[in-house]
Amino acid sequence: METEVMQSDEILDARGLSCPMPLLKTKKTLKGLKPGQVLEIWGTDPGSKNDIPDFCKKGGNELLDMIDDPAGYTRYFIKKG
Amino acid sequence: MSNITFIKSTAQDIRSGYKAIFESNWPSWLAGIFIAILAILIFLWNVPWGIAGGYRNWGDWMLYGMHLSDTRPQLAPWLHSLSVTNFGLLAGALASALLSRQFRFRGAPALEYAKGAIGGILMGTGAVLASGCNVGGFYTAVGVFSMGGYAMMIGLGIGAFIGLRYLFWEMEHLPQKSAQPGPSKKAPRIDWSRKKPYIGGGILLLGIIAFYLYSAFGQAQMGGLLFFGILIGVVMHRSRFCFVRAFREPFMTGDATMVKAVAVSLILYGLGSAVIKWSWIQPPDMGVFHPFWVGSLLGGLVFGVGMLLAGGCASSTLWRAGEGHSKLMITLISFALTNSIVSKLLDSSSLEALLGSGVFLPKLISWEITLPLFLAVVSAWVLWAAWNEKSEKFVIF
Repeated sequence: METEVMQSDEILDARGLSCPMPLLKTKKTLKGLKPGQVLEIWGTDPGSKNDIPDFCKKGGNELLDMIDDPAGYTRYFIKKG
Repeated sequence: MSNITFIKSTAQDIRSGYKAIFESNWPSWLAGIFIAILAILIFLWNVPWGIAGGYRNWGDWMLYGMHLSDTRPQLAPWLHSLSVTNFGLLAGALASALLSRQFRFRGAPALEYAKGAIGGILMGTGAVLASGCNVGGFYTAVGVFSMGGYAMMIGLGIGAFIGLRYLFWEMEHLPQKSAQPGPSKKAPRIDWSRKKPYIGGGILLLGIIAFYLYSAFGQAQMGGLLFFGILIGVVMHRSRFCFVRAFREPFMTGDATMVKAVAVSLILYGLGSAVIKWSWIQPPDMGVFHPFWVGSLLGGLVFGVGMLLAGGCASSTLWRAGEGHSKLMITLISFALTNSIVSKLLDSSSLEALLGSGVFLPKLISWEITLPLFLAVVSAWVLWAAWNEKSEKFVIF
């Protein structure tokens, strides 16, 4: 339930983009955020479900949540480390 | 009573087995091992594994079908060994995507379609120059000890670097709209999400039936290739095994996972191939035709840029198309057509001699030196990627 009201500082719409664009755009957008800020990404590429958590784990950012939206895309919430 | 318990626990086992195979992702190193085993089996069964030759057969037929070429291709797509493995890979990935409920027709923004088409054109051209793609020209070539494989490996690395620089430029200068899902439609009459796994299972069953049909017509070898292709498609889809990642990621995120997976696969395949060749199970110089070094290096470079634009190489274009990515379906068509056209142009020109010729390492420097050298090069690639993962020296942003 908590995720439903999760506030993000910026939204990145990567729907329709396939690997590697969602991850590349995520990395670029995160660079513009301050530590502690939350980035919300909307994506449709199934590969992102592995790529984004792996990227967070290795890059020192925290994946707060990953939700499959009923409209057919996935919402990722990343807190910049 | 005990019978009921047994049935219940068996059903539970089947359910958890299904979950492990079709719902959880497979680790890429495990997929690398499976791919090496399947590539060795293909080598033993027929010839060393390749993909671009199958694309060319499809391109030849497309040109012939559109009356753009008068030459009727010699082999039908279902009797051309590389085309048959490709069909298998596509079908295996489709079945796997259905079984894991991941299949969906996926649209893309216009710029992505353009990149898919241009990526296919570059890959189709690069694969002609190098006499092979990321599989035939690099993976198999290195594995069968053809010098061209190493030249293409360097070319692919340079091409991936250039392609990635373009993608950065594009992000800065060509902002694009996302492809948003349309307004929610009425609930469909058939709930496909529940039917998908059964359709996927049906496709796998058809693959087995096709093997027996091929055998009945005296073409067991083709049937076997289709079957191996299906297994490669399943393995690649379940693990999202991607050669592009192996060449791109060291420059993009520094992640070395796919480099390690491809290296494990390559070492196993090379050792298997050494057993096959050194003991004359297959002729030692079989599959050694890659134009060393100009063709392989230049072809690798052009192919490398193309695979970055398309977001898929020869193998991952097939499995991603099987998963429903329309962008990669465009890539598949442009790759096949370009490969066929450029190949015809090269055949009718005198440029072929400038590209180089196949060099079989063991003939040049003996088996005793070839094997340690092969292991050293692949290990050096892994060590470089692992060091770069920590230091990020080659990560470009």
